[in-house]
Amino acid sequence: MNGKLLLIMLAGRRAVLPAAEVNSVIELSEVTPVPRTPPHIAGLSALRSRPLTIVDCAAALGLTATEPDWRRQRAVVVEYEGHLYGLLVDAADDIIDALDDPRPLGADPGAEWEAAALGRVETKAGALLLLDVGALITGPLQASAA
Amino acid sequence: MDDLLAEFVAETREMLAALSGEIVAWEADPADRSRLDTIFRFVHTVKGNCGFFDFPKLEALSHAAEDALSDVRAGRRVPDRQLVDTVLAVIDRIGVMIEEIEGGQPASESNDEMLIAALKGELEDADIQLANSGSARNSFSASEQRTIRLPVELIDQVMSGVSEMVLARNDIARRLQMRGIETGIEAPFSRLSALITEVRDAITRTRMRRIEGLFATFPRLVRDLSAELGKQVFIEIESGEVELDREMIELIRDPLLHIIRNAVDHGIEAPAERRAAAKREAGILTVSARQTGNTIHIGIMDDGRGIDCDRLAQKAMDAGLITAERAAEMTRAEKIDLIFEPGLSTAHRVTSISGRGVGMDVVRSNIEKFGGSLEIESFPGEGTRFLICVPLTLSILPSLTVEARGQTFAIPRSYVEEIVSTAGGQLEFAQIGDRRYVSFRGRRLPCISLGRALGLEDTESDASLFVILRLGWGDLYALEVERIFDHQELVIKPLSPGIMQSGLFVGCTQLDDGTPVLVLDVTAIGHDAGIPRELHRPAVIGGSATVERAEHEGLRVILFRSLCGERRAIAMSAVEQVERASSTAIRNPGPDAQVVLGDQILPLLGVPGEAELPERFTVLRLSDGGEPISYAAREVIDISMLTSELKPVKGRSAIAGVALIDGETAELVDCHALFASHAPQRPQTRPLTCRLVGDDAWLRSFLGPIIEAAGYRIVDGAEPADIAFVDGPDGLRTEGDARRAIRLCDQPPGDDPDSIYRYDRSGLMAALARAGEELAA
Repeated sequence: MNGKLLLIMLAGRRAVLPAAEVNSVIELSEVTPVPRTPPHIAGLSALRSRPLTIVDCAAALGLTATEPDWRRQRAVVVEYEGHLYGLLVDAADDIIDALDDPRPLGADPGAEWEAAALGRVETKAGALLLLDVGALITGPLQASAA
Repeated sequence: MDDLLAEFVAETREMLAALSGEIVAWEADPADRSRLDTIFRFVHTVKGNCGFFDFPKLEALSHAAEDALSDVRAGRRVPDRQLVDTVLAVIDRIGVMIEEIEGGQPASESNDEMLIAALKGELEDADIQLANSGSARNSFSASEQRTIRLPVELIDQVMSGVSEMVLARNDIARRLQMRGIETGIEAPFSRLSALITEVRDAITRTRMRRIEGLFATFPRLVRDLSAELGKQVFIEIESGEVELDREMIELIRDPLLHIIRNAVDHGIEAPAERRAAAKREAGILTVSARQTGNTIHIGIMDDGRGIDCDRLAQKAMDAGLITAERAAEMTRAEKIDLIFEPGLSTAHRVTSISGRGVGMDVVRSNIEKFGGSLEIESFPGEGTRFLICVPLTLSILPSLTVEARGQTFAIPRSYVEEIVSTAGGQLEFAQIGDRRYVSFRGRRLPCISLGRALGLEDTESDASLFVILRLGWGDLYALEVERIFDHQELVIKPLSPGIMQSGLFVGCTQLDDGTPVLVLDVTAIGHDAGIPRELHRPAVIGGSATVERAEHEGLRVILFRSLCGERRAIAMSAVEQVERASSTAIRNPGPDAQVVLGDQILPLLGVPGEAELPERFTVLRLSDGGEPISYAAREVIDISMLTSELKPVKGRSAIAGVALIDGETAELVDCHALFASHAPQRPQTRPLTCRLVGDDAWLRSFLGPIIEAAGYRIVDGAEPADIAFVDGPDGLRTEGDARRAIRLCDQPPGDDPDSIYRYDRSGLMAALARAGEELAA
């Protein structure tokens, strides 16, 4: 894999997302809470006239129980199965090149991270965890139910 | 022009346009196999399509061309100059004919025979260039609306672009307003704004299609089905000019086909059976569509045998869905509703046509998914009617925006019956257990707090608005909200699966400022908050069903345990509130007991004289619209329906009778007697009064309502009465001061000419009327 990767900060760790799947990175101005949804669905926003489902990535990994602060976070906009999602991350600043194909994780990165990991990928910034957009969107509840 | 034909014309013209290049290439090189194949496919397709329509000339021509070209492809014939010219002339001629068809004109005279002969190679004369083939083309232009075919994605793209323009416009409008000063662009802006609205309306219309196009496929389906089943079925279609969102047409296609298959397979009888039932051998299936406001009503009616509701009930019993007792109590309408129970199908046998495991429950839930409803009416021997109601379009939904716990939500307007407010102070509430009820037009509707139903934080608020919602089956409930904003036409967008999984929302929309707003699925919210759907299904509407309903309609009752431990029921409409009280609040236990509730002292019934009172007990506050009274209970058991027969009981005052409710006996409290004996006397403009003397329970619960309905007032105790109804021989003594007496006997008449059999209703009414007239005279 010699694709581009989006470098993100999530729960104090660096990770990457496949840049090909990312539409844009935006700051959110308004998020409407949605009652009775899984905990990792932070709410609903809109990107122009399309609904944007906001996903709290940390909660999707099962990492924190704290309220997401979308005012300080960035939303990585991806399209997944016909719907637009905004993935909340702490920072998303850089696009970097993958130096080779993702490899198996090797040592266990922690159960939470492993659930959404596609593998380990080498970059200029060192070896980074490649996250699976689909797994983040599906969240922990469904993943364990499936 | 009908849709199929338009489709045919459009398709043919498209192929012709694509073909023009091929023809020229083929002309240059007649041996080019791939060009030949393309042209062959064209005439083949035209010939095939002609089979659906009545265009004999076009069919003959394309058929001849197909034959000739097929010979060439098979190597039986060499494509010489003459053949190539002829084929080109034929293609031109087809183009002309298509123009004529589109213009709705009869096929023009032409030397088609000559062309066909030339194709067959029978014509030696090579000069077959047709003068009229070129010139005719111009004369048929622009007589009909020009049509083009577009991919739906393109329309959707334009649609979403327009939606965004609307949002941008609204944003500019808001900013202009905020400035509050003359900017000089108001006039051009309002012009732009109007144009955007126009464009949006136009693009919305592009999504609409005539429902005819869908219905047009039914005759063929019905013909094939009935042939396969050895039945004769005529189909009548009335679609009028009804137009529907193209996506909606796709969504209703399957449910409609399913219902039609069912009607032909199970509804309409075989010819012999129909003859035996003195019906015409051929069954009639009517499919109709009507538009009412934003709703399309589609009716599918057959004149078949009707739904065998007893067999349905039997199957439901076999499947363990209902008990035999329940089945015995069920009305016909309720039994028909069993068809919506998963896994029940009435057919004796599974045929290839229906009964493939997809039940009516699936059909209905599919229709309800996009905001529609399905109702069934069926009369034995006369047929069955299905009524599907669907919204006009999926994408633009007239909505009501409301607020709960500070958040805005939208409710599809089609569900909204009315909005009522507590501000006027006319609303009456009843609290039954944890469920609050609000009185609305004589009905008690369960209240659901939207904030609580959605699990939103319970902020202190004085919710004072109720949106009365009508669900698919005519059920009503009251949704409690804090504010109501506006009626708006909102564009509905689909939500992601993560949000949809709660099942409480149908989509989302954006307000003018771009804020996303969730659109509520009010049916799901109702069910989710514990409104059981069975209780709310209304009886069938109209026709002979009304008689049945009058006889069988159940009485909604509250089941409770009295202080002495008996299981009792009381009409729910009489109960205003259920409260708890302590024994210290009771004064004077016994028949004349009173209880202190809040700041009122009310007569309290159901308190035995000697029994030991529990420390705390339940008080049912009853009201007939006037002075309230109360009834003591140990506990409230349930809310239920009284549908079985009421058996009179002797010697129990204020008990109308005993009945089976949910499989156990319960005494029905005679509310009428309670109020008659305990409500304070009110000043009256004296209608004629009646005294009931004798078998108290029977007279009150059976005769009392009839007498009252006839305009008489029933009196008790020492109050003077105009007429006395005397039941039994001891009445001879007690008719007392009544000015007229009507004697009843419990045997059919015969020996005693002065008395009337107690169940001879018309005799009783006649005697009552006679007595009334005599008194008035």
